[in-house]
Amino acid sequence: MSLTQLRRGLTPVLFLSMLLEAGCERPADKTATPNDAGPAVVITLQVWAHAGQAAERDVLKSQVAQFNRDADGITVALTFIPERDYNAQVQAAALANDLPDILEFDGPYLYNYIWQDHLIPLEPLIPFAVLDDVLPSIIAQGTFGPHLYALGVFDSGLGLYARRSALQAIKARIPVSAADAWSVDEFDTILVQLARRDSDHAVLDLKLNYRGEWFTYGFSPVLLSAGADLVERPDYQYSVGVLNSPAAVAAMQRLQDWIRQGRVDPNLDDAAFVTGRVALSWDGHWDYARYKQAWQDDLLVLPLPDFGHGSRTGQGSWVWAVTRQSQQAEAAASFLQFLLQPDQVLDMCAANSAVPGTRSALRRSSLYSENGPMHLFADQLLLGVSAPRPKTPAYPVITTAFQQAFQQIRNGASVKQSLDEAAQIIDQDLSDNQGYPFSTP
Amino acid sequence: MEWLFVAPAVLGLLSFVLLPFVLAVVLSFTNLRLGSPLPTEFFGLTQYRRIFSDPAFVHALQNNVLFALIVVPLQTGLALILALLINQPLRGRVVFRTLFFMPVVFPLSLVAVVWVLLFAPGTNGTLNSVLDVLTLGHWQARDFLHDPHWALPAITLTSIWQGVGFQMVILLAALQAIPAQLYEAARVDGARHWQQLLYITLPQLRNALIFVVLVTTILAFRLFDQVQIMTQGGPQHATTTVMFEAVNTAFARQQVARGAAITVVFFIIVLLLTVLQRYVLRHEKVVE
Repeated sequence: MSLTQLRRGLTPVLFLSMLLEAGCERPADKTATPNDAGPAVVITLQVWAHAGQAAERDVLKSQVAQFNRDADGITVALTFIPERDYNAQVQAAALANDLPDILEFDGPYLYNYIWQDHLIPLEPLIPFAVLDDVLPSIIAQGTFGPHLYALGVFDSGLGLYARRSALQAIKARIPVSAADAWSVDEFDTILVQLARRDSDHAVLDLKLNYRGEWFTYGFSPVLLSAGADLVERPDYQYSVGVLNSPAAVAAMQRLQDWIRQGRVDPNLDDAAFVTGRVALSWDGHWDYARYKQAWQDDLLVLPLPDFGHGSRTGQGSWVWAVTRQSQQAEAAASFLQFLLQPDQVLDMCAANSAVPGTRSALRRSSLYSENGPMHLFADQLLLGVSAPRPKTPAYPVITTAFQQAFQQIRNGASVKQSLDEAAQIIDQDLSDNQGYPFSTP
Repeated sequence: MEWLFVAPAVLGLLSFVLLPFVLAVVLSFTNLRLGSPLPTEFFGLTQYRRIFSDPAFVHALQNNVLFALIVVPLQTGLALILALLINQPLRGRVVFRTLFFMPVVFPLSLVAVVWVLLFAPGTNGTLNSVLDVLTLGHWQARDFLHDPHWALPAITLTSIWQGVGFQMVILLAALQAIPAQLYEAARVDGARHWQQLLYITLPQLRNALIFVVLVTTILAFRLFDQVQIMTQGGPQHATTTVMFEAVNTAFARQQVARGAAITVVFFIIVLLLTVLQRYVLRHEKVVE
């Protein structure tokens, strides 16, 4: 290839790379540009959100577009961060003091950031009328110490999806509320009877293909239902004796037995329930749309089984919080108020089937109002059947330890040993951090 | 004046290699936690005492050694066989060369994700059904990645599949550099194929083989991606490795100082091993 040919070939490449370079977003375009000539000061709000399901992202994008149109002088610059690494990225940004004005947090990870003094209380920024409308579970989740630091647009629901026809075929009782839930012995019998009619004998989907936080979210209610817990509440000072108590060991042993007996589908394709391989799916609100599309009126939403102390379930989801670094806290709060308007809440919940976070939106929701098909999830939140995951800065370590224990338990290791190990890891961390002392700034 | 030319590179080395290294050693004697507003204190040798009494870390060390012991000879041997085969003047050997090298091009995380599906449990899983056919129905379907005895072999298989192409290409280049006169002379002397292999090919490949063994050993100790994606430390620490423990400790358990201690111990071990290897496999210098 001659030099002329080479040069001719390189020119378009260089030109293209220049264009790409120019088109690339510069990440640090911050704050107001003081304009001494004109009257309006345009505030740019840096907003970070997790890249959830495609529908959620689309709704958030259109909400941001609408807010930018309607709000005077505030422009929102939205950045999506992949969900899998979200906590790690935010942690890295927090350490570098590079957080945006307002961002999302996965519920229980919130407290670590509050403890590190990265977030500011919301009471002075949000009117009381708005706060009063928000579901008590969301207020509880966002409160740490005496202040409220974060608000969620929606809350989550966890339960058992089932096929009515499969249950009717074995003449099983169908619970109508959490108070009515199957006892764990009843549940065992149902599994046995369903397995008899199933070709591969796997009749329960525990979402074993999921990663990370699901295991704590989905299965710590089992501990609560058995009278145990992840860590002692309300002071969160020790875990040995709580996480590895005999009740906890017995409850997790049940789970291990179901897996060992082959009643649980590994669900590698995430379609065990949708294709009918299993009749029961231990799952959250996010799969409702998919399941409904597959089974229509045959789909049932049932409470989790009762392991002795009543059926319990999980709560908590993504929340928005304003950072201490932000120079535009009021603008950030106005964006948050916009997201909490009933229309906006319902738009988002229509996309991800989550429980609407405000009472006014809940009343208007077709899925979650009194006669809606998923009203069980709303009831569970409002009646206290659900419990928040431990509200402590130690949560990242607690959840890692429990996830590790769960993996070992599902692989057939000794339940007692796995839970002992997890409890010791948690206690070690609690003592290393002197119990996470928190004083209100 | 010459040092000005090296200055940028040296600066880079100092700030990105030496400085973090020194910091890691220093931090391993403290109790630094990730993002904790509590003050960092001097902790003495506590971190080291803790990691050596942690069964997960000890198991990780054992796994690393076991993995290196299996992978290095197996992968090198396989790479040599493939290189010898490709060196034959066969029709379509370029196609084979490309096919054998392709796994190296794929990112390790992609390979891990695909192999998770190949290892799917139950009789419908790919590997299970293939083995079922090969053993004429005597194979019992296993959940490879969740069985304490099969998890590490499964990861070993994935790693070898992905890495063998790289070694093969290096050995192939070395093979092609062997002068043909040696083989001609041997044929004249009546040497058969396996004698030529043993007395000409292998000695001539000595330097390339040493390089390949060294690189494979170091890479084997860096085992992380497959563990992170396929088994997350494996059933009861059966596949955990030192790198996985270090990353997990520092970022998931937020114990940066403890993670630093793990990496320091790891560095010392790898250093000792490579020095030992260099001593045992003395590099043959070209005599001019």
